[in-house]
Formats: sequence, C-alpha cells, structure tokens
Amino acid sequence: MSLLRVENLSVAYGAIQALHGIDLVIEEGEIVSLLGANGAGKSTALRAISRMIPLRGGDIFYLDQSVKPIPPHRLVALGMAHVPEGRGIFPNLTVGENLALAAWTQKDRGRLAASYGKVFGLFPRLEERREQLGGTLSGGEQQMLAVGRALMTDCRLMLLDEPSMGLSPLLVKEVFRALQEINDQGTTLLLVEQNAHMALKIAHRGYVLENGRKVLEGPAARLAQDPRVKEAYLGVPTPTHPPDD
Amino acid sequence: MDTVIQQLFNAAQLGAVYALIALGYSMVYGIIRLINFAHGDIFMLGGFIGLLLTTHLGWLPFYLMMPLAMLLTALAGVAIERVAYRRLRHAQRMSVVITTLGVGIFLENLVRLTVGPETRQLPARLPTAPVLWLQNTLGAFVTWDKLLIILLSLALMAILWLVINKTLVGTAMRAVADNKDVVPLMGVNLNLIIAATFAIGSALAAAGGIFYGQAYSIDPYMGIDLGWKAFIAAVIGGIGSIEGAVLGSFLLAGVEVLTVAYLSSNLKNGIAFGLLILLLLVWPSGIMGKPMLKKV
Repeated sequence: MSLLRVENLSVAYGAIQALHGIDLVIEEGEIVSLLGANGAGKSTALRAISRMIPLRGGDIFYLDQSVKPIPPHRLVALGMAHVPEGRGIFPNLTVGENLALAAWTQKDRGRLAASYGKVFGLFPRLEERREQLGGTLSGGEQQMLAVGRALMTDCRLMLLDEPSMGLSPLLVKEVFRALQEINDQGTTLLLVEQNAHMALKIAHRGYVLENGRKVLEGPAARLAQDPRVKEAYLGVPTPTHPPDD
Repeated sequence: MDTVIQQLFNAAQLGAVYALIALGYSMVYGIIRLINFAHGDIFMLGGFIGLLLTTHLGWLPFYLMMPLAMLLTALAGVAIERVAYRRLRHAQRMSVVITTLGVGIFLENLVRLTVGPETRQLPARLPTAPVLWLQNTLGAFVTWDKLLIILLSLALMAILWLVINKTLVGTAMRAVADNKDVVPLMGVNLNLIIAATFAIGSALAAAGGIFYGQAYSIDPYMGIDLGWKAFIAAVIGGIGSIEGAVLGSFLLAGVEVLTVAYLSSNLKNGIAFGLLILLLLVWPSGIMGKPMLKKV
C-alpha cells in the first residue's frame, strides 16, 4: 500500500486549468520532491492533496482512502500535515500558541510531550522564543515554526511548499538538515521546491512538472544528472555545439 | 457630588449593557470580517427568552435562568450562522450585509408575532434595595440590582478575556483572525470555531438583554437602537478589538448619560453620533484598533 497515490489529478482555477491529469505515488518513509518552474502546478498539487482547493478531475488516495469526502482538518487528524507556501504562521500568536494550536488533534499527553521534545530538539531557537509573537520572528525562524507546527500534528506525511523560499543559503541548509532528520525519524516528506539542487540532495525520488503536466520522474540521483533538469532547474547550461575552429 | 456618582453608576450600567452587545459585533468582525447587523436583535431575543423563562419557569432562580437564557440564545446565534451566513462566507460583502439586516427584521417580527409588540418589564429578580455602604460613604443612592448588573457584566467580560487568551479554543479564534485559511491545516475545524464565536457573542448579548430588561424594559424593536449604539461603541473602540469594545461602550454610555443629566436628553443621540464622527476623524481604526495593513 502506498502512503499517497495521486491519480489523473486535474485542478482548475476558474477557466484556467492548472493541472492536467498528473499521477504521483509516495511510499512510506520516502522523501519525494516535486520540481518545476513557477506556475508549473507544484503548489496547486499540494493544495489539492490537502483539500485546500477542490479537484476538477481524478482522485487522491491517502492510506488507500479517497480524500474527496474528507474535510482538510480531518486529514490532519489522519496524519497528513501541510506546511503552506509563505509559512502561514499566526503573527499575533506566540510561538508557544502557534505550536499548541497545531497540537489540536493530539489528545494523548504522552505523545504531545514527545512532539514538543521533537520540535525543540530540532529547533532549540523555538524554545528560546516560546513567548515571542510569531510575527516578530525572522524568516528562518518562521520557517522552523511552520515545520514545528507540522510536527506538532504528529504527522505521518508532511507536505512542504517551498520551505527554502526567501531564506539565506545558510538557513536553507539548516532547514534541509532538519527535514532530513525528520525523515530519518520516520516521517514521509513530499517536498515542493524551486531550489532543485537542495531538494534533489535529500530526496529519494522526484517528479518534474511543466505547465501542469508531469514531464519527468525517477530517482533523485538520476534526475540530478538529467540534462533537462540541469539546464532548467540547476542552472547548469547544457553544452552547445563546440565552436568551429 | 452625590448625584455625579449616581450618574456615573447609571453610565456604568448602560455601558455594561453596550459592552455585552459590542463584544459580539467585535468578535465576529475580528475573526471573519462580518458585521452582523442582526446582532442587536439577538440582544433583544435574549431579553425575551429571559422574559419567557422568568414567566413560565418562575421557580428558576435568577442565577440559573440567566445561564439558561444565554445558552438558548447562543443556540439561536449558531443556527443563524449555520442557516444564513455560512454559505455567504465567500460572497460579495453587500449580499452579506443585506442578509444580516434581513435576519434582524425576521427576528423582530418573530418576537412581535409570538410574544406581542408591547413594551414589557422583566420581573425583577435582583434585589432593588439601596446599597447602604455606598449611601453612607459616598452619599450616593445606588440600588443593589444596578451594582450587581455592573459587577456581573464585568465578571462575564473577565471570563471572556480568559477564554480568548488562555484557552485553546480562544487561541483558535485568534488564529482565525490572523490567518483563516491556515487554521484547517492545524487540524482545527474552522466552522466549529466560527460557530463558537457566534455562540459566545450571542450568549453575552443575551446577558445584556436580560440586564437591560431588569434595569429598563424590553420590546421587539429595542435591538435596533441599542444595537446601533453598541455597534458605534465597537467602532469607536476599534472593531475587532475586545478591549476596544469595552472601552468604547463605557465611553459612549458616559457621554450619553452625562449629556442627558446635565445638558438635554434631546442632544443625546446627536452628541453620541457626533462623538463617533469626531473620534473616527482622529483615529480612523478606532481607539484600540490596528490600522489595516496591506498584506504583502
């Protein structure tokens, strides 16, 4: 059984079709990256998976169960967490309140304490700033808080939308190191990224979307070597014809 | 001197009632940017539910009747949100405004047809003897019911403050105000939190209705005038702000009561609305309101 199976997914915003029937499979324990240029439909796919936007066609199966009849907050209780684009932290809530709210579905005190331990172990800075308002955090800290909130839901599958956006290279490294560790501890990650270099470094497999269609898929190492990926997303120019002498 | 103190108690009583209504306007606006123009009529409905409970279940002590009336009014508020407002959450603002006004007219006529259009007095259930201690020390004639209405209102506001700031449901309400779209991603049922907000706002309005019926009288149309006043108070304080709603309410009631006492009752509304205009010229977002920031 795959943890997540996306079948022939189509999504449209009004008359504009954003996804034209894509298929994805995520196995438990994997890190899978969804790559593509701006507007390729990566974020749209994530939003459809977590039921933030309606599907036009196709279906999504989480734990072999169609997500269509499940409201988004119920999916969180079933173990699917979504770290949205732009982090989506609550600026007027403290760091502690942001985390406490994300633990809404956790009723077991032992597991709740374990979640706090996990978050503060990965991001000690969040513990230091527990009483501080979310809006006063730096961009990197806000991203840590966004990932920390997802951990507080005690998730099995974490969807991440551009966690590197707007961060310095050093902070990107820190966030990706944390993601790697989260995965090592057993959480499956579906990672939407424009920073293909970093994403392919930690991912097991990847998919490349272009204009709402899947154009490439395969193991991360192979994608990183693919000339089309190199040219489009890794900033490596494909060799042109050698100059005539 | 003694009459000034008496007038201040009158103002505090009226301000407490305004505040109990204004809080509902402010909370609902704060979390879903909806101005519920039917809220004044929820206040009226609460007063009438209190009246019906007092007349038909006369054996119920006041301190049980009031929570029961608050609960029933809360259910009415939740039902109104479910039936009339929820499906308009993404509709144009004008459709929503018209709907809230329509709900208000519906409630007024529902009460008029079922209970009758007459002005009624809620049977006095609070002691009306003067507070001797105040009479002896300050020389002010203040009755127990007035003092209790003020104190009970303040207690309800304190409870509300605790719920909003110290409970997880309150955290969720503030989160909805901050970033509504992300709340479901925390596993929180957005509809439940919005319903809870309507429930709390309606329950507070019901308390205001019962207090108003104890202190003055009730009729099916009282929600129009009082509702507008409380709305003005919420705007003066900064709509969306809980502290602002309370501050604006006591301020407005103070101005009104003192105008009636020392100038003329004819000037009451003119001065109240004039104050609104003046304050909004100085503080367009209200005293405690945050200026609307452009979202990046």
